[in-house]
Amino acid sequence: MHQITYTYINLPHLYLLPEKLISPIKVIKDTHNKIVMTKDDLLVVEGVRKTFGGLVALDEVNMKVKKNLLVMLIGPNGSGKTTLINVISGIYKPDKGKIIFENKEITECSADEVCREGLVRTFQIPQLFTKLTVLENVLTAYKDNPGTSFLKACVKRTWIQRETEATKKAFEILDTVGLSHMWDKRASELSGGQMKLLETARALMSGAKMIMMDEPAAGVFPSLIDKIFKHFVELKKKFGLTFLIIEHRLEPVLPYVDYVYAMDRGRVISEGKPKEVLNDEKVIESYLGE
Amino acid sequence: MAAIDFLLDMLATVGVYLMLTLSLNLDSGYCGIPNFGKVLAMIAGAFVVAFFPGRILATMLGMSGDFVTDNASMIFQINSFLASNFLISTALFIATIIVAIGFGMIVGYVSTRPAVKIGSGPLAITLLVMGEGLRVIGTNYAPLAGGSIGISAPDVFAWAGGDRFLVVSVVVFVFSVAIFFFVNRLTNAPLGRMLRAVRDNEIAAESLGIDIVGVKLKTMMVSSAIAAVAGALYAFYSGAVISTAYTRASWTFIPWAMMLLGGVANNVGVVTGVFTFVFLRKLIVMYKAELTPYLPFDVLWLELILYGVMVILILMYRPEGLIPEKRTPTLKMSTLKKMQKT
Ligand SMILES: Nc1ncnc2c1ncn2[C@@H]1O[C@H](COP(=O)(O)OP(=O)(O)O)[C@@H](O)[C@H]1O
Ligand SMILES: [Mg+2]
Repeated sequence: MHQITYTYINLPHLYLLPEKLISPIKVIKDTHNKIVMTKDDLLVVEGVRKTFGGLVALDEVNMKVKKNLLVMLIGPNGSGKTTLINVISGIYKPDKGKIIFENKEITECSADEVCREGLVRTFQIPQLFTKLTVLENVLTAYKDNPGTSFLKACVKRTWIQRETEATKKAFEILDTVGLSHMWDKRASELSGGQMKLLETARALMSGAKMIMMDEPAAGVFPSLIDKIFKHFVELKKKFGLTFLIIEHRLEPVLPYVDYVYAMDRGRVISEGKPKEVLNDEKVIESYLGE
Repeated sequence: MAAIDFLLDMLATVGVYLMLTLSLNLDSGYCGIPNFGKVLAMIAGAFVVAFFPGRILATMLGMSGDFVTDNASMIFQINSFLASNFLISTALFIATIIVAIGFGMIVGYVSTRPAVKIGSGPLAITLLVMGEGLRVIGTNYAPLAGGSIGISAPDVFAWAGGDRFLVVSVVVFVFSVAIFFFVNRLTNAPLGRMLRAVRDNEIAAESLGIDIVGVKLKTMMVSSAIAAVAGALYAFYSGAVISTAYTRASWTFIPWAMMLLGGVANNVGVVTGVFTFVFLRKLIVMYKAELTPYLPFDVLWLELILYGVMVILILMYRPEGLIPEKRTPTLKMSTLKKMQKT
């Protein structure tokens, strides 16, 4: 009796009906009537292809990340995990395919626009502000600081309150990642593991709805990995954050993971609950060569 | 008497270089824009002085004649009028500075926009070439600033009579102090931190939501406005604008050397660098005649050779300059320490 109304997207122009006109289930379909996005999906990657010269780094990658989950992306070295995050975050443009975040197509967005949409990422090789202190690195990620405008910067009372709040938040985050004792050191003085932690701290500071992390645990002390992933789970529960985290190996963080994608040679070869993916023959095989 | 003149001369020279080097420090030291065209915005400010106030006064006073070809006689009349009109002189001075600020901003935007997205190499070359270009245009197109002969500017300090030199030197210096406090405010705010972040790692800055193209354009507009003020003040100070005097060696490379000597991304360092440099320069100029017998080359080259050697020595042995870059002090150190403990 009750016909479900779909909203259609005819990309590149995303066309959405006002929410009240459509059924409680909000579904986005493409022109071939295939469901692209449901209400629970936060990030959708559709048929993304990326080549570097003759090398196919991403080959028809499809992925859906549901809201409020901690999703892992695993795969052997060179399988295209980092490239996928680079494409989603606007560092590279895909040759083909589209990326939708929160009902908005972001395929053509630049990196800063993607971040301002609420989707932040970290780097596998830490990209820090080397001459800034640890605290300054974290503070730089704070969004909408009035003191960063040329007009307001001159008048301290327009920004001092927000800056104080930001600094408090920054110290809390530094505490979580175990870097608060290093707050006044230059970022260039940190060890490799500490640099990765600072990357994580900056992402947490950004206030994004979704955080993509590229191997945040690499080089980090195992007990600290546990602590940080526990914190991710807490943030997920408390603020409804969503995580997409790349790790080379799944086992160390297994208890915290809701869903897993496995990639090999530029393709998604398996997806599902952590246990299912770990026992998938294709996944086991892909790691065998290592 | 000679000592006072020497000091005053140093005051004005320090003032002009301070403004230019603070401006350079804002765009290059803080934001990482390779500005090898600092002279561009300075010329823009000087040309505003060459072009507008004289013509405005000539029209006001109902004078006939061409402002460029009849420059000497017209300026003579204009200056005798200005000498007894403090208010008009000052109003004209302020209005010219405001126009210079606006023109500086436009020049900053226009010179940066084409190459800002391409990369720092192309941007550096574009800025260098544009600085040269405006000087060449000024030298060859007489209506702008009298061509290769130059042009006299109205003396808005003529009312000071015998104390003119004193007054204009102090005015230049006061402007430079005001600009120091202005730039310091900008760089000690969260803005300074953002600029340094853009300089240190563009990819990371972009990925944290910073619109780096916008930031660079705005920075260049503000820093070029400052350099244009320096150019306008220098033109008022010297009473004339001669395009050929605006060389990249004097007004781009020396500010770079001053910034490298004093400390990149540190405004106090810039002040130190400018004072040290100007003082050393005066010493060289005073004593170079005595050195002539001992030099295997013309003493004219001594100054430039010494600058070159100095820059190389700084970069080799003290790359951070006399006073290194510091944390952006948005909050007091004691407040931060308290926050860290809780
Ligand atoms: N900028 C680039 N230029 C050329 N090849 C690249 C570039 N980035 C990645 N690749 C290639 O794409 C493939 C996937 O790399 P990457 O995404 O880094 O894998 P992973 O993160 O899963 O280890 C590799 O073969 C790599 O060499
Ligand atoms: Mg990788």
